[in-house]
Amino acid sequence: MTSRSTGLLYIVPAFSALLLVLFSPVFYGVWFSLHHIRFGTVGNFVGLRNYSYLLTDPTFSGTISRTVFHTSLSVILTVAISLALALWVHSLPPRRGFLVQMIVIIPWITSTVVATLLFKWVFVSDIGMAMSILRMLNLPDIQFLNDPNSAMGLLIAVSVWKRLGYALIILLAGLKSIPEDYIEAASLDGAGAWQTFQHIILPLLKTPLLLVVIVLTLSNINTVESPLVLTGGGPGSATRILAIDVFDRAFVNYDLASATSLALIMFLCNVLLVLAYVRLSKWKV
Amino acid sequence: MKSAATMPRRTLVPWKGVLVGLLFGCLVVLNLAPLIWGFLTSLKSEADLFRFPPTLFDFEPTLENYRRVFASGFGQSLAVSLTYSTITVVMVLLLGVPAAYAFDRFKFPGRKPLLLLVVASIPLSLGAAALLIPNYIYFLKLGLTNHFYTLPLIYTAHQLPMAIWIIKGTMEGIPRELDEAAIADGAGHFTILRLVILPLILPGLGAAGVMAFVGSWNEFVASTVMVDNPALRPVQPAIYNFIGYFGREWGPLSAAAILGILPILIVFTLLGRLIVSGLTKGSVKG
Repeated sequence: MTSRSTGLLYIVPAFSALLLVLFSPVFYGVWFSLHHIRFGTVGNFVGLRNYSYLLTDPTFSGTISRTVFHTSLSVILTVAISLALALWVHSLPPRRGFLVQMIVIIPWITSTVVATLLFKWVFVSDIGMAMSILRMLNLPDIQFLNDPNSAMGLLIAVSVWKRLGYALIILLAGLKSIPEDYIEAASLDGAGAWQTFQHIILPLLKTPLLLVVIVLTLSNINTVESPLVLTGGGPGSATRILAIDVFDRAFVNYDLASATSLALIMFLCNVLLVLAYVRLSKWKV
Repeated sequence: MKSAATMPRRTLVPWKGVLVGLLFGCLVVLNLAPLIWGFLTSLKSEADLFRFPPTLFDFEPTLENYRRVFASGFGQSLAVSLTYSTITVVMVLLLGVPAAYAFDRFKFPGRKPLLLLVVASIPLSLGAAALLIPNYIYFLKLGLTNHFYTLPLIYTAHQLPMAIWIIKGTMEGIPRELDEAAIADGAGHFTILRLVILPLILPGLGAAGVMAFVGSWNEFVASTVMVDNPALRPVQPAIYNFIGYFGREWGPLSAAAILGILPILIVFTLLGRLIVSGLTKGSVKG
């Protein structure tokens, strides 16, 4: 018969890898962040001083508000557009619906570096496709990346474009799990399309919608690549969001103390989102 | 615009055919144009690139951009990435299958909290930027940066939680009577896993493997920071370095970008259905 430890034996290899790469660094990072750091080496214990320095950093509040703005707008737009697309694809014949899914998922399976690079080349660059079309129509050039507002707008556009396919697939799976009878019953009762959506589909889609919101929030907060490739955080600091700020502190300014404390604050936000995710996701034990 | 055969079967929102066609056109342009335009650019000479109005097909295709990219060492980066991703897929399946088996078929102390940890780690390993700095200083301390195994190890840990989850989900569908029959025949647990369960979970393994391949091929942040030896540098940081190196020379840049997504596109064309099912089953990852 099975001894109680057989199962444990089977998970040891996997958990060793997770422990080494995902879990222990967090504990080491917390210990590290409570010390005085000089040239990457650990000095005296200083308690929370590295964290309080962050609060006195004059750039900190701007970075936070830009991050909140970028993330919330990207998430709202992605969810709204992907929900509309999902409803549309759901009404298509299966083969065409699958084709649309395959097209929309392409930016998502492409790496963020390459996707952002191609997006920049085609839609933004002065000799790219979009600008050439503008010029052929005798319209003036637009220098999106030189203006703080349009640079941020463009960063949001890339974020939405890149993640739309992911959201579409999850929402579509949610839509497919709604029994057809519910919708037929509603239309027999004389409900219009909007009423059916509002009272039948939306409530039944609540869990997948919330899961999508959480995952999109997580991945938008943590995206380094798209601001790095698109704007480098500029012009000025117009697109300097938290993830690229942490990255720059550590690997451009070599300030590991503030980078680690900021990364751990970010990590805490991530953990809160993950807890919400775990509560929502249907996982059986 | 659209014939009756392709009309929506059930109309949730009453859209007109023209609108549907327009929407479809917009989607195609937004999602495929960068790929196609990037590919055409990669075949253009400097002179054709700056021509106005730009040409779509009326130019002399040249492989000069690709030659320059390979001359700058991109071939090695491609080989490195291919090796890393293959090792990651193998490791993820080797570690993930036994773990999924344990979570699905055994009772052991701590099973519930440990499974919770796995589920929580799926979206957590997305938090690359936040996890990266602690990961970096820890690996620096242990002397684990800049080795041939550094990145495959990190990729494996990032991709494992979702793989365990997908594989466990597939195993749930296999009736336990099969295990019991095998036990009655005197088979051990490992034999059951190997001969009874493994042949039945191949679609799950495929989905988990494809997700791990795409995830590790596309990883950028850890790849940039954890190794600085060019011989160990995978594709994504190599492309990023080209942005600084080639500046505004879009010819070689788009050649590198196209080469960088080629393996993903091949995998996608062959196994697109597995990616969709992996995404749905894994139900996370952005």
